[in-house]
This record gives sequence, C-alpha cells and structure tokens, in this order.
Amino acid sequence: MWLWYDWRSAAIADAEGNILDLEEWDGWKSTDSVISRLEIIAHSALTPEAKRLSERFPDAIPLIHGDPGLPDANWPLPSSEAMKSLDKAAIILSKRGVDSAAGDPDRRLEHILKATDELRAAWITIEGRLVEWVGLFLPEARFEKDRSSLATTVSNSESLSDLATNLEIGMPPVGPTPEEWKAIVDWSTSVSEIKTRVDKMETVVREISLEHMPSLSKLLGPILAARLCVEAHGRMRLARLPAGTLQILGAEKAFFNHLKTGAPSPKHGHIFMHPWISRSPKWVRGKIARMVAAKASIAARCDAFGGELWGDEIIESVANKVELLRTENSKPPRR
Amino acid sequence: MAKLRQISWAVVVDGRTLWTRNAVPKYSQYGEQLRRFKGVEYRRWDPTRSKLGAGLSRARNTQYDLLPNPGDTCLYLGAGHGTSLSHLHDHVCGNNNEKEGRIIAIDLSPRCLRDLVYLEKIRPGLVPILGDARNSSSWRMMLPTKVDWLLQDVSQADQAEIFIDAAKKFLKKGGKGLLSLKAASERFDASGDKIIFTKVRNQLEHSGMVVNEQIDLHGLEDNHCLFFTTMK
Repeated sequence: MWLWYDWRSAAIADAEGNILDLEEWDGWKSTDSVISRLEIIAHSALTPEAKRLSERFPDAIPLIHGDPGLPDANWPLPSSEAMKSLDKAAIILSKRGVDSAAGDPDRRLEHILKATDELRAAWITIEGRLVEWVGLFLPEARFEKDRSSLATTVSNSESLSDLATNLEIGMPPVGPTPEEWKAIVDWSTSVSEIKTRVDKMETVVREISLEHMPSLSKLLGPILAARLCVEAHGRMRLARLPAGTLQILGAEKAFFNHLKTGAPSPKHGHIFMHPWISRSPKWVRGKIARMVAAKASIAARCDAFGGELWGDEIIESVANKVELLRTENSKPPRR
Repeated sequence: MAKLRQISWAVVVDGRTLWTRNAVPKYSQYGEQLRRFKGVEYRRWDPTRSKLGAGLSRARNTQYDLLPNPGDTCLYLGAGHGTSLSHLHDHVCGNNNEKEGRIIAIDLSPRCLRDLVYLEKIRPGLVPILGDARNSSSWRMMLPTKVDWLLQDVSQADQAEIFIDAAKKFLKKGGKGLLSLKAASERFDASGDKIIFTKVRNQLEHSGMVVNEQIDLHGLEDNHCLFFTTMK
C-alpha cells in the first residue's frame, strides 16, 4: 500500500493503483498558506493531509508525487487555478531567496574587499603623481623616508613658497601659476581623502572577517582571511578546499602555467602576504607555506562547520613551528 | 531586404538574423535591436548571447522542430540572466501570456534570480525559482505533470547526468529535450572537445533518448554543443 502526497492533497493507493482514501486541502487560495506548504515539502516533511492518512493507514509507504517507486494511478492533480496560486507562491519564495542573499557575509565581503582593492590601486597612482608633481617644482624635496604626510602638508600650504618652508627646503626660481597651484592643492586633498576612505573600508573588512571567520582571522589576520574567502568564492567552498589548493589560491596564473609548460609550481598564493612566509628566507618559504596552509585549512573548517574557536595557544604553537622550520633550514640548500 | 521566413508565430528569420515578436512592446531586454516587420515589433535574437538562439540559427534539419509549441509547459534549468528566456517567452507565452504558456526557470544564483524576478513582473507566464538543477526535491512540486520541453544550460561538471536525470523525471514521452553542453566544464580530455561531445551523445542514446541533431555552436559560443533530443 502506498501513501501518495503532493503539496495539496494526499491519497492511499494499493499496488494496482486503486485509490482507497483521499484527503484534499482547500486552503490553496491563500498565497501565504501555499508558501508554508512549499516550505514543508522542500524540507521533505509530510503535509498535514499526509500525516492524517498515515495515522489511518500506518503500513502505507509515504512517497511524494513523481517518485518512481509509486504505482501508476489516477492521482488527484491540482486544478489550473490551484497551479496559478502555486506559481504565485513560488515567485514570492524566489523573491525572498533573493532578498536573503543580502544577508550573506560571503557576498558582502566580496564587494567591500574588491572595492578596497580598487580604491587602494587608485590611491597608489594618484599619490605617486602628487609626489612627482611636487618634485617637479621643488627639485630639492626628498620623499624617500616618509611621504605619508605629504598630502596634508601640501593641502595646508598657501603657496609653493609656503610649502617649501614647511618642507624646510629652498625655493626654485620657476613656480606654478596660481591656478596650477590650486590644482595641485585639490589633487593632494583627494589623495588624503581617498587614503582615509581606504582605511575606513579596511576596518569594515576586518570587522566582517573577524565575525565570519574568527579562527582563520586569528591565524592569518582578518584581511588575508577575507582575501582567501573571496578568492575561494565563499567560506563553505574555502573549507572544502584541500590545503594544497588553499596554499596556492591567488597564484592561479603560475599554477596553470606549471600544468601547461612544466615550469616550477608556485609555492604560495595570497598566503605569501603573511609575514611568516614573506619575511622568511626564500628557501624555506615553500615548507612554511605548506604547513601554514594546512593549519589555515583546519581553521577554515572550524569556522565553516561551527567548530571550536581557536585560542592563543594554538596560534602560538603554529608560530613555534614556523620558527622551528626557519632554524632547521637556516642555511640555503647546497646545489 | 532579404525574404522573411517564418519559423513560428513569433519567430522569423530575416536573411541570417533571428527575430522574435516582442511580448513587451517598445522594451529592449538586454540592449538588443527592435524593429518593425509589417507593423509588428520584433526583437533581434543575438545568437552570440543566447545558446538557444545560436542553436536555432545553426540547426540544419531541425530548425522548425527545436522550439516548443506556444502554450506549452517548459522547464529551463540554468536560466541565467534571462536573455534566452525572454525570447523563449516571446514564443511560448506572448504578450501578457496570451498563449497561456508556463515556463519554470531554475537558477542557483541569487544574482541571476534578481533579474529573473524582475523579468517575471513584465512577462507573466514565467515562474523563476531559486534552486539547484541537480537537486530537484526543492522544486519538483512545481511540476505535477511532465513538461513538453526541457532546456538545460548549466555550466558545471556532470551536465549530461543532470540532464538525463531531469529528462527522466520531468520530460513527457515524445517531449523535446535540449542540452547545451559546455566542453570546458567537463573533465579535461586531451583528445579534444569532439571526443567529449561524442561521449555525451552515446550517453544520451544509451539512456533512452533519441538525438535528433547535434548542433555545434563553434563561432557563436566556443566549445559548446547543443543536443536536440526526444524522449522515447
């Protein structure tokens, strides 16, 4: 005996396909109740009608409409009006799904991280131009040591000679016209403005990342954790990646070149940004990257699958391992 | 002007270009050209933007059979941003769903669904659903009876398995099933895309489907092939 059901009705049939009992639901005119019905079905639970029939016929095997295990029978299919109501409900459910995508930290992280990268790239170009521009008029100026305050100094200066005094250098005979000087000042204002915005956005990235991936952020730092998450297209995918893939995330070009031409494989991708790797001698970076990637992979899984939060002692033990690898390989390998 | 050739009530071929009768007058869906033929507005169907359009313009023998009948129930797996879907809607549903068609459009990405939900507002007859083509349990109740026409355009591994599974579950006997296969989504085969296409063709034939035509979309959509099958 079979218990057949769909979102609107349920029926009991014997092996020959004769319908023995039938329960129908007439609440389909209200879209809201159809939506709750669809949610029941989507979670593979029984509808109230199916439950009632299953109490009446405990040995009937419940199978949803369309299951290949069901016998052929004249099942009570919904009328076309009921189907219209179903379509309406499905569309509302889809809308809800689209709305809830806004709550997905993976997507939010992607936008803000990429926006930060773009803004930072813009900042680097216009800041470089400012330095060259000022340097043209003040050849004596030297910015090698510290140029972080240059933008504010320029925008706070009344004129080129004022700037020269602020920078404690001599004034050359040729200077910009007043309008040209104004353009330089405006330019420097946007340089400092963009820098402030980049810093603010990075703070947001840190916040989201610490919230979304606490353990990985603790191990690698929130910005690097966010970068890995975005590169892997989401926390869940990152957690499912093998550690070897995590190690070279961000080095795809080198990796596929390696597959194609047999060039040496990349040792590290984004993970290189971590001082454990970038501040190590060249010949141990691969070893450290492999170890750190394996640890990061575990941390990512802890975050994605609700594992234990990583404490300071685990991070410390990883740091000790890095130190051990560095001391064990303190000399470059002999060729 | 080249001679007009009618493929269906809503689809015409003018020389080599495809046009569909615009179900939403004066509205260009994705920046395509609008044009009047004998006082009726048509939208240009760009074959480089739509694999269904590419298949239709490349088909040799089956051009007149490829599309569903107006008013059919259709299932579209991997509807994307709705480019192909809008032209399919022009044909199956028409203005304000005058043909009473029903197109169930499934896509996994919320970004795509955002566009599809908007499309549904101006094109009644569409039912966009946020779901996985591979996992039909979340949307199977939308199809109490089997469909007349199935199109699958998902770019993920095991495209053929997903298609066969969907066709067995949801496609009527004698119903038309179109599979747009992206060779690059399948496991890499050093012997080339053609081998992949042949493998998939055999796979389809072994699972009880008739392959009416295998349409190579090279030039319009590289490394793609559209299989036009019928359910036995």
